[in-house]
Amino acid sequence: MLFNNILAKYYYFLSDISSPISEIKSSLGPNDLPYNIPIHPNLVHLTIGLFAIAIAFDFAGALYPFEKRILRFLAFPVTRVGFHDVGWYNILAASFITFFTVATGFFEMLLAVPIGGVKSIIGQGAISTMLWHGVGGVLILFILITMTIWRGYQRFVFRKNFGRQVSWAYLFSGTIILLIMGLHGSLGAWLASDFGVHITADQLLVKGNDLTSIL
Amino acid sequence: MYLQLGLVVMSLLPALNEKNLPWIDVIHPIIVHFVIAMTLIAVVFDVIGIITKRSNLFEVSFLNLIVATIAIFIAIIFGQIEAGLANPYGSSRDILNYHSTIGWSLAAILSIITGWRYVSRQNNPNNLSIGFLSVDIMLAFLVCIQVYLGDKLVWIYGLHTVPVVNAIRDGII
Repeated sequence: MLFNNILAKYYYFLSDISSPISEIKSSLGPNDLPYNIPIHPNLVHLTIGLFAIAIAFDFAGALYPFEKRILRFLAFPVTRVGFHDVGWYNILAASFITFFTVATGFFEMLLAVPIGGVKSIIGQGAISTMLWHGVGGVLILFILITMTIWRGYQRFVFRKNFGRQVSWAYLFSGTIILLIMGLHGSLGAWLASDFGVHITADQLLVKGNDLTSIL
Repeated sequence: MYLQLGLVVMSLLPALNEKNLPWIDVIHPIIVHFVIAMTLIAVVFDVIGIITKRSNLFEVSFLNLIVATIAIFIAIIFGQIEAGLANPYGSSRDILNYHSTIGWSLAAILSIITGWRYVSRQNNPNNLSIGFLSVDIMLAFLVCIQVYLGDKLVWIYGLHTVPVVNAIRDGII
């Protein structure tokens, strides 16, 4: 009985809490953002693109002895150092830009209003998808910074005089991280495509608007 | 007879899911990671390379441009398939037309610029002309416009998102 009372009170409080978004509701558009196009998904292009290509070019540098003949056959003049330069500078740029990717991601997640009662393809609801994507994003930023520092030490200290500038362990880690990033990115994609977060048309449809007269 | 033939062909095609796609998620936005990131970073590295006189950054830009040039053709293939299944409505039809036109043009422009870069690199890999840099900056600007149009298709019109696909199937839009 007592327990039930506490439970009832608890639920009362939960349902009584108004979302902090409502304070600034008047300055937000139909996509729940103060601007038309979300920024985070655009910065994500840079994070993923730069990191993936950095790892790919380090693979190209590491496997250079095998490629040498093909490159000569194609008369394509490139050097091993050039491949590893891409591996280094691209991951450096990726970790710089990812701070902004995570920052804008958190800003836009605070303003997110996912469509209720929806489950993603792996059976997650909106809030668990958002929590995994948010916490995972910070973890990936941390991993990316660690990888960049590791990459820098290999380039300038550990493997300074080596032809192959990265260890196999680095390449293996990079591959695993790319797979995790793929899954992580899918969570983010579902927040848009399934939960309609920050998509004007989806948000208008859920509120029962007629799109043909608005868009 | 033609109807039956059509039905046979239809049955051979994969079924479309709740996003009106034959695969789980849109693939075009994933491939364009490599076009957007590589073209934009190429300009950044070129500018830094000129300012700090680090010519090895020019090589990094060049290799990034090669990746972008390969990726844009794959992006167009998936873009065309997914655009064909997008059922654009209202003014998103015009935006999709602009996006397609600029996309195909970008493939040509990017190929020419990468080819030009290859030739200038053959002449002198440690030097980058201001002429190339200005064209490079214009390319980056065009890529940004293209990204904005693609963004509008997703974030304003919600093409290939579940609610919009449902509304189209129900005949609401």
